[in-house]
Amino acid sequence: MTSLGPFLLGAPLALAALIALPIIWWILRATPPAPKNVELPSMRLLDDVKEQDETPARTPWWVWLLRTLAAAAAIIGLSQPVYAPGASSGDTSEGGALLIVLDNGWPSAPRWNELVNASVASLDAGGRDAPAHLLLTAPQQLNPDPSQRFSKADMAKRLTSLRPQAWGTDRTDALTRLKESSFAPARILWASDGLESEDGRSFANALSQIAPLSVYAAPPRGPVAITRLQSQTDSVDVTLRRLEARGTEDTFVSALTLDGSALATAEAVFEDGNREAIARFELPAAALSRVARFAATGKQGAGTVWLWDSSDRSRRVGLVDAGASAQPLLSDMHYIRKALEPFASITEGDLESLVAASPDAIVMTDVGQIAPDDVTLLTEWVEQGGALIRFSGPRLATQGDDLLPVPLRRAARALGGSLAWDEPQALAGFPDTSPFSGLTPPADVRVRQQVLAKPAADLADRTWARLEDGSPLVTAAPRGSGTIVLFHITAGPGWSDLAYSGVFSQMLRRSIAAGRGEALDDVDGSYAPQLALDGYGRLQPAPASAAPLRASEFSETRPSEAHPPGLYQGPAGTRVLNAAANLRPSRIENWPASARLLGDAETRSLRLAGPLLTLAVLLLAIDLFVALFVAGKLNRRIRKPIAALIGLGLMGSALPHTETAQAQSYRYQQMPDGTLRRIEILPDAVANSNTIASSPMTPEMEAALEMRFGYVKTSDSQLDQRTMSGLTGLSRLLYMRTSVEPAAPHALDVETAPLELYPLIYFNVPDNNAQLSDTAVSRLNAYLRSGGALIIDTRAGAQIGTETDVSRLETVLSGLDAPPLQPVPQNHVLARSYYLIDDFPGRYAGRRLWIEETGSAGAPRGDGVSRLFIGDADWASAWATDERGRDLYSVDGGPRQREIARRFGINLAMYVLTGNYKDDQVHLPALLERLGDDDDATPRLPAMPNDGGP
Amino acid sequence: MTPLSDLRAEAEALARQLPGLNFKAEASEAAHIGSAGRRRAGTGEHFWQYRRHASEDAADRVDWRRSAKGTDLFVRETELETARTVLFWCDDHPGFDWRGPEDIRTKADEARLLMLTLALMMSKDGERIGALGAGRNPSFGKRAVDRLGEDLAAGTGGAFPQAPKNAATLIVASDFYDPIPEWQARLKPLAARCSEGVLLAIASPIEIEFPFEGRVKLSRPGSVFDRIVGRAETVQEAYREKFNTQRAALGKLATHMGWRFVAHDTGTPSLAGAASLKSAIESFGSHT
Repeated sequence: MTSLGPFLLGAPLALAALIALPIIWWILRATPPAPKNVELPSMRLLDDVKEQDETPARTPWWVWLLRTLAAAAAIIGLSQPVYAPGASSGDTSEGGALLIVLDNGWPSAPRWNELVNASVASLDAGGRDAPAHLLLTAPQQLNPDPSQRFSKADMAKRLTSLRPQAWGTDRTDALTRLKESSFAPARILWASDGLESEDGRSFANALSQIAPLSVYAAPPRGPVAITRLQSQTDSVDVTLRRLEARGTEDTFVSALTLDGSALATAEAVFEDGNREAIARFELPAAALSRVARFAATGKQGAGTVWLWDSSDRSRRVGLVDAGASAQPLLSDMHYIRKALEPFASITEGDLESLVAASPDAIVMTDVGQIAPDDVTLLTEWVEQGGALIRFSGPRLATQGDDLLPVPLRRAARALGGSLAWDEPQALAGFPDTSPFSGLTPPADVRVRQQVLAKPAADLADRTWARLEDGSPLVTAAPRGSGTIVLFHITAGPGWSDLAYSGVFSQMLRRSIAAGRGEALDDVDGSYAPQLALDGYGRLQPAPASAAPLRASEFSETRPSEAHPPGLYQGPAGTRVLNAAANLRPSRIENWPASARLLGDAETRSLRLAGPLLTLAVLLLAIDLFVALFVAGKLNRRIRKPIAALIGLGLMGSALPHTETAQAQSYRYQQMPDGTLRRIEILPDAVANSNTIASSPMTPEMEAALEMRFGYVKTSDSQLDQRTMSGLTGLSRLLYMRTSVEPAAPHALDVETAPLELYPLIYFNVPDNNAQLSDTAVSRLNAYLRSGGALIIDTRAGAQIGTETDVSRLETVLSGLDAPPLQPVPQNHVLARSYYLIDDFPGRYAGRRLWIEETGSAGAPRGDGVSRLFIGDADWASAWATDERGRDLYSVDGGPRQREIARRFGINLAMYVLTGNYKDDQVHLPALLERLGDDDDATPRLPAMPNDGGP
Repeated sequence: MTPLSDLRAEAEALARQLPGLNFKAEASEAAHIGSAGRRRAGTGEHFWQYRRHASEDAADRVDWRRSAKGTDLFVRETELETARTVLFWCDDHPGFDWRGPEDIRTKADEARLLMLTLALMMSKDGERIGALGAGRNPSFGKRAVDRLGEDLAAGTGGAFPQAPKNAATLIVASDFYDPIPEWQARLKPLAARCSEGVLLAIASPIEIEFPFEGRVKLSRPGSVFDRIVGRAETVQEAYREKFNTQRAALGKLATHMGWRFVAHDTGTPSLAGAASLKSAIESFGSHT
């Protein structure tokens, strides 16, 4: 390649065409665009007019500038220029073979592209036919032979197809391979991850002795790896490490489930001068048990992912089955099971099968004497690292056995009984040496009875918890590599309140965790790879090259191709191999003096041919439009979309104005639960409905944003008006008297409107009894089924007779899926959901209101709340007010009845909105009476509460 | 060119939409006895009114049949019925027989349509109509309209016709793009003979607007010369001014001759043009 300043030219001869530029320029300048032919008879008028602005005989300067630029860009682009500032600066060996050493371990992943680009850029320098060789430092089973020759193009392809591996580099191995291949390169480029993880400096020295060495180091920025994880019972500490100790830096770690959803995120802060940071997750145990891996957010590389295996996570606990219990909720096992369930997998069975399953811990309650065979089994199991947790009880108090941490007295000590002097004891603070230390002893827990340990010299050491008077409550003793823990109380509430306390669960979990040694003796067990990480830290099915791993080898195996970091499945659950476990990465600081360190700029090579040719095409495309424009062929029809495009950009600045204009009538307020609620600036919501209607919101949006009632639009517009004013009046009443603040009601076309958005729909049956369409009826059915409330008013109450005439309804609403109906019974919630009323009048009093028969099996609203209300009292007219709040229609019984009708409306709205919530309130007086005075031994349930109300 | 039958049908539709022509003629000009009632007493066939016998009336004018009913003497008067001669001329220059890209018919067709419409209404009123310079005498009746159509379509072979022998009302349709002095010279002999006339100027909307932009080669139909305008939008101002000046000068010329000037463009409905042409015609004699 010819070099020209910082540029390398692939086809320098193409530049000769630049000579043609002046000619192109001259031609372009001379030839004006072709005119448009137009016939115009009235040109006669202009015969004697001399044009002021004479035809531009030449192309405008900006047009030929555009075209000349396009031509120049095309010519220069064809000469294939490469911008490579590093290439020209003093490469001594032009024609020699180039060896590219590439670190392809996981630390390279964050800046992999830079490494590959640097390698590819190094190909541009040097002789055109100089061969290139490749040496990868992350060992594979089939390593590329460094002596294999590649042409430059092949090498570029090869390099760009490479991916970082999930394991680290092994530079010693790479150096050995290079030496074995007996290949002598003329120059070497080492694209390094810059990590002194092993022997970076000696490797560099060795390379620089072989040939002139250029080094491009791209150490990962920020946190490099998660190196350690420590799990406590309810928190996890994830340790991150970085290369630099300078500066403070925040980073985040996410806890992810196996399918990749994030459960929690914790922040880790690198303090200045500190290479390590800890991200602490405090998660409930149930959530913690779902965490499968931790990942540094936004970082690439297998090292920033920490897989978490089941051995860290879920304890397997065996509960010794003490036989069926008549009162399962009072049995001790119940409390243990409930305490352990969130974080441990529980097995129940007899001792023999439990020991065979080899759990982490076995819990026994009040077993006095274990059968001799079982004692042998248990002892063996405990000595191999099991945790035996025992609870005492009457049986243990009478006869203990050998599997106890401390010798016991043969009696239980009762505290605070009628014959005892002392009071029930509270828990003392936990000793520092105890695994319970850090827990707060609950102040209100009292221990009423316990078994007592015989005093011994080592009793204090073995005590994990004690009472306030100092007597041990929990004792533990190691046995072999396992532990035996004894709670000196029952597991249930029989002897103490501890089982009621949350600390009980914590204590149990810590006991298990503390007692668990190396629980599983599966040295011979083989773990097959199931999921593996790739170099970027993504989970993938394990590759075929991954080999099974023995359990005992996990601690000393370094990840490699045969054992990639990932999840391994074995006899005792899953184990993991993490890429950066216990790694202490640092930078390579001292490079050999002879090595040339390349900066970022020097390794960048930019191929300019593509962009230049694109620019040329772009300029020509612009020129096409310009030519059309000059020739006047760009007529208005084409110009309009272009103007629209330009206008679109201008509209962005205009939009905020309209928003502020809208914001004047209402604003949004964030509610505590995170939702937004629209707050009217003017107090009266109903009066403001006009301003709402004028805003460009659709009725659907309005109905979804604010609670409001709806009514069925009929063919009778006068009736609709009446219903509308009735519902408006009711809404206003609700707004004034209750905390229900409905917005203005909507008229609904049943066939199209989104009924489900309205909690209550009012249907005033029109006089002409026009039948509703099938669609409307089926939609009403769906509305009722999904929990809506439909109020049907036949307005026929003025007629003689007390029965509601439903014959009209049969025609109007034929097909409506009506449930069995009943008149409102005595003491129904509807009569007391807000006001206490005993009639449901509208304009007409004493009418019967039919509601759904409650308690019918399989009712869609299973709580027995009626969804259908049928009456004929013409309530809407009684509620109806004009916009100034004046009543519109007369009511039979005068103001008194109107007030009752209003109260019924409020009750109805309350009933629809709260369901049978108020049903409980019916019994409230009786309940209060019962709770209040103990001397009134016989509580009285009044048939009718004499007081009520909201 | 639109077929004559189509133009005729179109013209009849237009004529039906327009109210009846009120073409008042002055009595002194009743050179030809005709059938067009003038809504005043005069020579004619139809009864107009009875009026009391005045002393200057001859005795034989007394209508005895009416006078016998009472003691007064009555004279029976008939309605003045005269006919006027209306002559039409339509320019047949190629630039006039031309239409813009958006127009539905050529300017000449538009002019012929308007003139036929007027001719139909006039023939209904019994006026004599004919084409100027056609060689045929003006005539009455429906047949006259057909003849007029034929003569207008035939044109006058590019020459401007001579003045008619007798006084007539003239309607001259053209685009009037030739210089004003030329038109003055052409119209002078006509105006000397006929005191009533209308200049009907038809233009295409693009001739009014001059909506061109960019580099444009402008050519005139019927002319071999063309002209390249580098940036047509710069000429637009000058053109429009020129156009308006021409129109104003034409109006002035018509006023000088006692004629009327009617401008119409093919972009507006023909009915509007016909109506304005009709009102221009009706304005003659309105002072009586």
